[in-house]
Amino acid sequence: MDRPAAGVSYQRFPRVRIRELKDDYAKFELRDTDASLANALRRVMIAEVPTVAIDLVEIEVNSSVLNDEFIAHRLGLIPLTSAAAMAMRFSRDCDACDGDGSCEYCSVEFHLAARATDSDQTLEVTSNDLRSTDPKVCPVDQARAYQHALGGSEPFDTAAAADQRGILIVKLRRGQELRLRAIARKGIGKDHAKWSPAATVTFMYEPEIRINEELMETLTLDEKRSLVESSPTKVFNIDPNTQQVVVEDPEAYTYDDEVIKKADAMGKPGLIDINAKEDSFIFTVETTGAITAYELIMNAITVLRQKLDAVRLQDDDGDLGELGAHLVGG
Amino acid sequence: MNAPDRYERFVVPEGTKKVSYERDTKIVNAGSFTIEREDHTIGNILRMQLHRDPNVLFAGYKLPHPLQYKIIVRVHTANQSTPTQAYTQAINDLDKELENLKQAFEDEKIRYEERPKQGY
Repeated sequence: MDRPAAGVSYQRFPRVRIRELKDDYAKFELRDTDASLANALRRVMIAEVPTVAIDLVEIEVNSSVLNDEFIAHRLGLIPLTSAAAMAMRFSRDCDACDGDGSCEYCSVEFHLAARATDSDQTLEVTSNDLRSTDPKVCPVDQARAYQHALGGSEPFDTAAAADQRGILIVKLRRGQELRLRAIARKGIGKDHAKWSPAATVTFMYEPEIRINEELMETLTLDEKRSLVESSPTKVFNIDPNTQQVVVEDPEAYTYDDEVIKKADAMGKPGLIDINAKEDSFIFTVETTGAITAYELIMNAITVLRQKLDAVRLQDDDGDLGELGAHLVGG
Repeated sequence: MNAPDRYERFVVPEGTKKVSYERDTKIVNAGSFTIEREDHTIGNILRMQLHRDPNVLFAGYKLPHPLQYKIIVRVHTANQSTPTQAYTQAINDLDKELENLKQAFEDEKIRYEERPKQGY
């Protein structure tokens, strides 16, 4: 068999089509690549795109009903605006502070002080009570309110800005107090899910549905109806004018095989043929608001490239080692 | 109590090489790459990209144990190539593909924003 010389490129050129792009939601088609790359992108978006989240909490006063670590955990889960996270340093490899995580390059400090004054109302301590020392990093709903108040460029949806109640941390009864200092650090979802910028990231193969029209014509209208009904999701429909079975929404198909089983049961195998296009994917991306969906996708590509770069062979191993071994081994 | 630290999963310990290559002692042009602190994300795309190379007779990867944070990529090539050449080429191709994808996304975003807003 003729084989090409080494060093020939087998690169692919994927195509993209964005269907919907909102601040925290994106739906797009990815074509001309394979499932391994689609899945790598998905995995990176969920677990390896960095964000900022509260990681260290020093509690000064806590007379609330929740214990210290419970509150620390709740603080960690509050999504913080992380557009700057890609440029930040991980505190473990920060030179400026020797990794103790308290310098401007790798951390952001927060303060919270709340006390229920002597009234009968319970005080709700929310993410809005967190005071950040860096305006770039703050709880996401605070950022929305802030942008809204400024009236400037708004990276997030303003429709939700109407009722900014923040994320509830704890409720305080009369006389109870909560005072703390928190340090937010850069991290990835692999370390702890609080750092994951993704709410959901999914992809599906694009289905290709073919109806054998010739065979379909041998069906009565009732049979067609029961065939259409057999699909648990609304993939097919009957054209009211021509009374033909038509594909209404191929993407509603969940690869459940129900219509195919139904066709077989009706004694018409091959009536409907459904194929998953193995190089076409439909992605749905939703973020927590820490970064926009578009940023999430772009950062995922960047992170994946960095990962690939890290697994390149270094000069001191690889080719030279192979050659050396040949020379020695003869 | 004795759970490994979470960062163990992605921080390469000092003195350990990220990638090491070991030649197969019995077969020519065969060997395995041990990649520290990587998982299916890298393993699977590398394997699939290696499969696109006709000089690669065999390419596979395994995650030996969920608590050993490394993968092993085994490659066997024809005489025209070597595992290290195929491996490097696969990484280069994937990198270019992703560079391309990034550009495609940027272009598509501009196109999307220019597209008249329509109910989907």
